[in-house]
Amino acid sequence: MGLLSDPSLPTQNKFVVSLAKHVRKLCYAIYLLGVVWFCCLALPEFNHSTYLSENALSPGLVYPEIRIDAHRLAVQLLEELQRERQDHRSTTPHAWIAAKFRELGLETHIHNYTLRYPFGGGKEFHGKNVYGILRAPRIGSTEGVVFSAPYRAPSSVHVDLAPSVPLLMAFADFARRKNYWAKDLIFLVTEQEQLGMQAWLEAYHEGDRSDDGLSANKYLWAGNLPARAGSLQAALNIEVQDLSDIEYVDVKIEGLNGKLPNLDMFNLVQRIMAKEGLTSGYKQAHKQQLLKKRRRQSSSNYELNLQRMVTMLLSQSSGVPTGNHGLFHRYRIDALTITASKRQQSHHKSNSNSAAALLKAIEGIARSLNNLLERFHQSFFFYVIINNDRYISIGDYMPALMAMVASIFIKAYLTWSSLASAGKPTPYGSVMIYLTASLMIGYLGNVLPLQPYFLELPLSAAPLTTCTVASLTIIGIVMPFVVILPPGGLELLHIALLLIYGCSLIVIGLLNFALGFFVGLVTVPLIIALNPIEQQKTNPLSFITFLLNPLIVIYGIVLVMTFYQFPELSIQNILLRAASASMDASAFALIDSVIYGNWLYFAVCTAFLPLWIVTWSLALSKRRLIFRHIDEDMEDLDEIDGLLEEDAADQNKLKTN
Amino acid sequence: MDAKSFKLLLLGGAVRLYFSRTPLASLIGDRVEFATPLNSYKRMQEGVFLLEHDIDPYSGDLVHESPLVLKGLSWIFLNYASYLPLLYILLDLLTAGLLWIMSHWFVKHKLQEQRLERKHYANDTEELQYHNEDNYDIPELVLMAYLFNPLTIMSCIGLTSTVFSNIFLALFFFALVKGYLLPCLILLAFESVRSFYPIVLISPLLLVFARRSYWRGFCIGLLFAAACIAIMAANYLVMNSWNFLDGTLGFIFYFRDLQPNIGLFWYFFTEMFEHFRAMFLITFQLNATVLYLVPLSIKLRKEPLLLATVLVALMSVFRAYPSLGDVGFYLALMPMWKRCWKYMAHGFVVFAFFLISLSMMGALWHLWIYAGSANANFYFGATLAFCTGQIFLITDLLFAQVKRQFCLYNGQKIMIDGEEARIILE
Repeated sequence: MGLLSDPSLPTQNKFVVSLAKHVRKLCYAIYLLGVVWFCCLALPEFNHSTYLSENALSPGLVYPEIRIDAHRLAVQLLEELQRERQDHRSTTPHAWIAAKFRELGLETHIHNYTLRYPFGGGKEFHGKNVYGILRAPRIGSTEGVVFSAPYRAPSSVHVDLAPSVPLLMAFADFARRKNYWAKDLIFLVTEQEQLGMQAWLEAYHEGDRSDDGLSANKYLWAGNLPARAGSLQAALNIEVQDLSDIEYVDVKIEGLNGKLPNLDMFNLVQRIMAKEGLTSGYKQAHKQQLLKKRRRQSSSNYELNLQRMVTMLLSQSSGVPTGNHGLFHRYRIDALTITASKRQQSHHKSNSNSAAALLKAIEGIARSLNNLLERFHQSFFFYVIINNDRYISIGDYMPALMAMVASIFIKAYLTWSSLASAGKPTPYGSVMIYLTASLMIGYLGNVLPLQPYFLELPLSAAPLTTCTVASLTIIGIVMPFVVILPPGGLELLHIALLLIYGCSLIVIGLLNFALGFFVGLVTVPLIIALNPIEQQKTNPLSFITFLLNPLIVIYGIVLVMTFYQFPELSIQNILLRAASASMDASAFALIDSVIYGNWLYFAVCTAFLPLWIVTWSLALSKRRLIFRHIDEDMEDLDEIDGLLEEDAADQNKLKTN
Repeated sequence: MDAKSFKLLLLGGAVRLYFSRTPLASLIGDRVEFATPLNSYKRMQEGVFLLEHDIDPYSGDLVHESPLVLKGLSWIFLNYASYLPLLYILLDLLTAGLLWIMSHWFVKHKLQEQRLERKHYANDTEELQYHNEDNYDIPELVLMAYLFNPLTIMSCIGLTSTVFSNIFLALFFFALVKGYLLPCLILLAFESVRSFYPIVLISPLLLVFARRSYWRGFCIGLLFAAACIAIMAANYLVMNSWNFLDGTLGFIFYFRDLQPNIGLFWYFFTEMFEHFRAMFLITFQLNATVLYLVPLSIKLRKEPLLLATVLVALMSVFRAYPSLGDVGFYLALMPMWKRCWKYMAHGFVVFAFFLISLSMMGALWHLWIYAGSANANFYFGATLAFCTGQIFLITDLLFAQVKRQFCLYNGQKIMIDGEEARIILE
């Protein structure tokens, strides 16, 4: 207990004082330690092979009973659907789907929902989902499992997924004939991509509350469901591109805000797919491309592992789900998407009957889920998949982020102790006001674009959001030039920044590790380098800080993506295209946040923008000029008089502002 | 009180009023960090309603507020429910004002004491002594610490009955400093019957009023017991049954509700085997009450107010259902010991601890309860870190006081053979 009961009188520890001289070196060392640790995780010694920890699942314990006639039914239904699709170019053939569901003997219902799109004066969109419930013969509708398939109209810009619905129906037909189901099975066909899924889930869990003004979502009126099937235990979203020729199955797991389904669920799907002889895996599409490339250039196993880790984290960091499954995670339902991809080159047809295997796999997954005694809870919810059979758990990857955060707090502590020993003035009040002002700017970024006053402007979402955020950023850029803190203020602001930055990094890292990690990776070195005490007039730091402005970072990311996607365009074209794309991106982030509850936009506005403003002020470190000159020398009194006048003018400006 | 303090009070009231009209208020009212089974607004509402309909509120397992408080509030709850936030805000401001007056008198007493003892002090100890300007500086700091601490603001807008506990405690401190024996006793008895733990504050009360005479101490003890019995009898008259004793004190002592909170009880009591429960219950309750009482009372017999501060702080760390509002209250008392701050080495660490653990609590609660991906261990880790931070703070304050006392008489720089002496604790 020497730490608490240290009897020495001076509170300044000599060790701390000497350490404070090397604060930056120390912090960089800890930061590098974190990065090195992260890189080490890709080594096979640092990650583990996957295993199923929920015994109830017992995958592959039964022989698949689904026969080839189910596949024939799917093909036949697909032909019928294709005929329907000729009449419904841009709509969903609800009547046909519902009729087929009823024919199969499911309890079929249609769910209506309305989206009230708030921007540009407001528009209304209507949509319908069709779902059929197969009541479990063994239990009284207390638990359910969802099998869903998205429907895309022929006019959709996305990849055609028409065979998904027939496949789902074929499986439903099989499932209805069996009497061993202990959970209600819901077969759900959604439209309008994630919107339909979100509306259905919201209606399932929240019910119709829009008439009393208490609707959970102001913009999406989810409506009510005529029938439910108890608490949902798991969900499988099925996307099939082709029934006759499947090259591989891509398992998508990233959900809303970077949430993942339980690792058991992923392992279950992997096991059963492997058992049925299907090539499947996480980011399989990416892997297939690599396989083709790898014939030409050989990169080491380690490099590949690291690459896969980073790609997984990158796709998690935006918080946008990679498929319809991602929205289930919000309601504690473990879900994932299996996407069966069509073979690209048709010349080598080895196994042309893949959809039958896929049906067998779906049956296997369904029967394993049927065995579940309680919700998925055994295995990990936080993991990074390196390979299909290797993963890193939270306890292993968290230290990387913790090291980064620790370096920030260590810097805060050492800076504070050197400040305390120097006995400089500490203007808490003005620093608090400065911080509150920056936070207010961030808060406005959240609130302003959704004010009815702004929404009525005849502007579409992209320019509106961009204008608001850009003008707030400009206020932030100008702020350090206009408001100059009293002496000692910058040092205090520095410490406040370190503390708030550290805390927000911890919180963001806990909620979405990927986002926290990347933000930390990029910004921690800058924050460590920041030192308002010894700032010169022209320093590269303020330039770097300027580049790290959230808006510029978004533009940069979009620019790089555009460059990779359209390498044939001219530079000027790319720049323009990236600008419009990043405007769209910010608008989409805002829409995502109000409709789906993705908090990326919220985090950027509420945390990153204010933090950036404070960092920017510190990088510039504008002081009241007069004090610096008095400190230096007193020789040029005229100059000081001039500066005094400037200072007074500054203060006047402050008052008028 | 001077004009500036009134301005601060107004500002504090405005902040509370603003936030009580935002959706934040109902959110805070449901957070386990602020609203515990003892102090939550919803349970209070339930109790008032049941009482009004002649149903024993304590026959269920929801209401744990004392009958007198329920009865006293029932009129305003039933007729002017929309003005309730205003009442809570006014009470909170009153608490702040009382703390100002209390600390003002405290500094005055300290200055008088110093005048008598000055000749014994060492030469270079000016900065350790109370100064004349402290007469207004310290009360102002206390006022600001109470008014603008987010913890007290939140606990006020969440309408937790911690607001009542705080005002009773502030009144008790005020009476203690001013030397009003009877109000002091009655307030303490009331608060003890209401929430059990304040009973430990009898020790600073005895130190102040008994003035080292056992006879007096005995009399005060008897008076206190009489006051307790009288208040219980008053409660009995309201209820016409003794059920309330089990509903309030019994509920606290037996720790019947395992709802998570920022304290240490819930996690241990969910984990432990049932047949050890009695033993651990007694251990934990002893830890929260008498374990530190005797040693601290002996050590701090000359500083009863510091003893009271430390006891209030320990109470809000170790009690069965602590809330952040309690933490906010004792943090507001810290500026009274401004002259010890020089020796508090861990201030920054404690602050960082508070900041990190409080921000983690929100995130981990979300992950545990809503997202379902984390579990109770994560949240308990954060609360444990928070408690550790508080213990750091309390220990630091005690040590700073010991060092200040030492330096006050021996000087700040002690030289032995021209070298600075090292002080060793034995």
